[in-house]
Amino acid sequence: MTDVQMSESEPQAAPPAAPAPSALHHLKEIASVIEAGSLSKEVRRISRAVRLTVALRRRLAARDVSAFLAFALPSSSEAYTRLTSLVPKEDETEMDVDTAAPATQISIKHGLPEIEIYCYLLVLIFLVDQKKYDDAKACANASIARLKNLNRRTVDVLASRLYFYYSYVHELTNSLAEIRGNLLALHRMATLHRDELGQETLLNLLLRNYLHYNLYDQAEKLRSKAPRFEAHSNQQFCRYLFYLGKIRTIQLEYTDAKESLLQAARKAPIAARGFRIQCNKWAIIVRLLLGEIPERTVFMQKGMKEALTPYFELTNAVRIGDLELFRAVADKFVSTFSADRTRNLIVRLRHNVIRTGLRNISISYSRISLADIAKKLRLDSENPVADAESIVAKAIRDGAIDATIDHANGWMVSKETGDVYSTNEPQIAFNSRIAFCLNMHNEAVKAMRFPPNSHKEKESAEKRRERLQQEEELAKHMAEEDDDDF
Amino acid sequence: MDPKLVEVTQLFSRFKAAFARNDFDTCVGLLSQLKVLLTKFPSLPPSFQQTPNAVEELKIARDIYEHAVILSIKIEDQDAFERDFCQLKPYYMDMCGIIPASPEEYPILGLNLLRLLVQNRIAEFHTELELLPITALLNPCIKHAVELEQSFMEGAYNRVLCARQAVPHATYLYFMDLLAKTVRDELAGCSEKGYDYMSIAEAKQVLMFSSDPELHQYITEHPEWEIKDGSVFFQKAKEIQPCKDIPSLQVINQTLSYARELERIV
Repeated sequence: MTDVQMSESEPQAAPPAAPAPSALHHLKEIASVIEAGSLSKEVRRISRAVRLTVALRRRLAARDVSAFLAFALPSSSEAYTRLTSLVPKEDETEMDVDTAAPATQISIKHGLPEIEIYCYLLVLIFLVDQKKYDDAKACANASIARLKNLNRRTVDVLASRLYFYYSYVHELTNSLAEIRGNLLALHRMATLHRDELGQETLLNLLLRNYLHYNLYDQAEKLRSKAPRFEAHSNQQFCRYLFYLGKIRTIQLEYTDAKESLLQAARKAPIAARGFRIQCNKWAIIVRLLLGEIPERTVFMQKGMKEALTPYFELTNAVRIGDLELFRAVADKFVSTFSADRTRNLIVRLRHNVIRTGLRNISISYSRISLADIAKKLRLDSENPVADAESIVAKAIRDGAIDATIDHANGWMVSKETGDVYSTNEPQIAFNSRIAFCLNMHNEAVKAMRFPPNSHKEKESAEKRRERLQQEEELAKHMAEEDDDDF
Repeated sequence: MDPKLVEVTQLFSRFKAAFARNDFDTCVGLLSQLKVLLTKFPSLPPSFQQTPNAVEELKIARDIYEHAVILSIKIEDQDAFERDFCQLKPYYMDMCGIIPASPEEYPILGLNLLRLLVQNRIAEFHTELELLPITALLNPCIKHAVELEQSFMEGAYNRVLCARQAVPHATYLYFMDLLAKTVRDELAGCSEKGYDYMSIAEAKQVLMFSSDPELHQYITEHPEWEIKDGSVFFQKAKEIQPCKDIPSLQVINQTLSYARELERIV
């Protein structure tokens, strides 16, 4: 119902014959949104401006940006000189046509810090899109220096985006280590200013920074000591979960790691395909390390089949318990695993392959000689029988198989597998599933958002349309942004 | 040349002389003096100032800490090892561009991995391992530790023990001996679950004792083992059967929580 109304009212709102407004006109409108947000101290409006900018991103040209800078910043200001020098010059005379086009002239007050920071952000995004990374780096550094002298809550939203691109540019130019100290200083500043969005963004950037260099120890120390609060942005929360999952995997806390990684994969927007693939890859390995075999549907998810193929073959090898096949798969996809930085984890999996193989043997045979076990598991060492004996002994102690070893005769005797329904096993499985469902429901209830004061006053048709439009923008923005960022 | 640097160099050569004649008490004394002197160099971590002598100072500092680590093994002090290694680590991790890599780097990193394994700090073991580049994994010292960890996790204990003969460096023997003790306890734990009984001779072989009295001593430490007819019986340890009771309290709690949650939904 709502959708139909929306599509009907939309064309009427826009004057039919008018040409599509230029990018510059849009930018000016955004500037006035920021101005309004700054004057009324409404953070919501500023975030709307950021969303509108992202939507405009692909249409930006150098002349739009320079014209906007001339419009928004006083020509004597330091920011103006610095930013215009970074934007490439284009000798096109079309500009006159554009400036003449907007019928309603928008003018804004000069000297608002929000507008200045917005200009930095705009130029930075533009330079990143144009792949001018050195200029972008200069712009980012200048903007961060400027931000350090500002303390306004209305700037926070813009600042958190700037932090993101600041780190992004350095990642692209492979100089992440240089900005670590700066990021830490910014995080401290954000904490002191109680800028939670900034803290959230910066914490993720720092974790990303550490993990880029495999500094899991430092990452975990920072993570466990940084202040925690309710997440503000879904994207940042997903990233946080992903980094957390990675740290926990390295530190062998597989159960917690699995939870974080699966949650990250589930919460991430559909458009963030790359991110979801990464989450799934790690989640698959963690589940294998836990001795679980992921279902086939995990590998068949839309758009991920190809990327997950190496992991599918790996899972297959673990499921069968064939060491030879496992080794072959690990060698075959060694470049993929190295690129994903999962190589060391896969080395850890060898042990699981042996366990699975042993379990299969113990189920199939009631009595088997240790020499045969060594042959079946394809243990290649100087003394395979002794190896097999101690491996079996350890598996028995860890409860992976239920058997005894007869040392004198050199064989393993499996015990009868009891009826699983006579144990508490089904009860535990049932409980964990129920707990999962109930938890999911509670999370969903918590995640629901209601417009403020909706219970007090009936919103007018005008307001309602505005809200719906904003929501749609938000949805579109999230999809697009995640596409770019991950 | 800077007088401070000269002083450190002289003291360090005295340290090395004492180290060479295995005079460890003198070494420990000299080392603490050296460490105090090192704090006066501004180019060392954590300040990293770019002074004209930076390269010389960093090199000698790294050399001193490397010796400190080896010394801590010789005097069999694991805590000192950990402390000295922590001080040494920044020289390996953050200094690659300033001073050339040390030939001792991988042996010492391998030693640290081994120490973490002996102390059963597997999570830290893997965290350290992630820091190493792929090429480092081919180094015999690192490879040794990595393979040990794998064999240990698999349960191929005799492979762990065989590795003692193939140590890449003499300093590794101290930790390998410690590891052997850990392995014996693991083997004992596995045996009592895996076997019903075992003859004395076999037990001696499995648990790697060279004489019967040693074995008997070890068996008396485990009250649930008993010796009968020339065999070790592990039966007693198994008699503790898992109880078959229904965990009623737990089930009641769970059911009540379901009811509460459902009520909230409806």
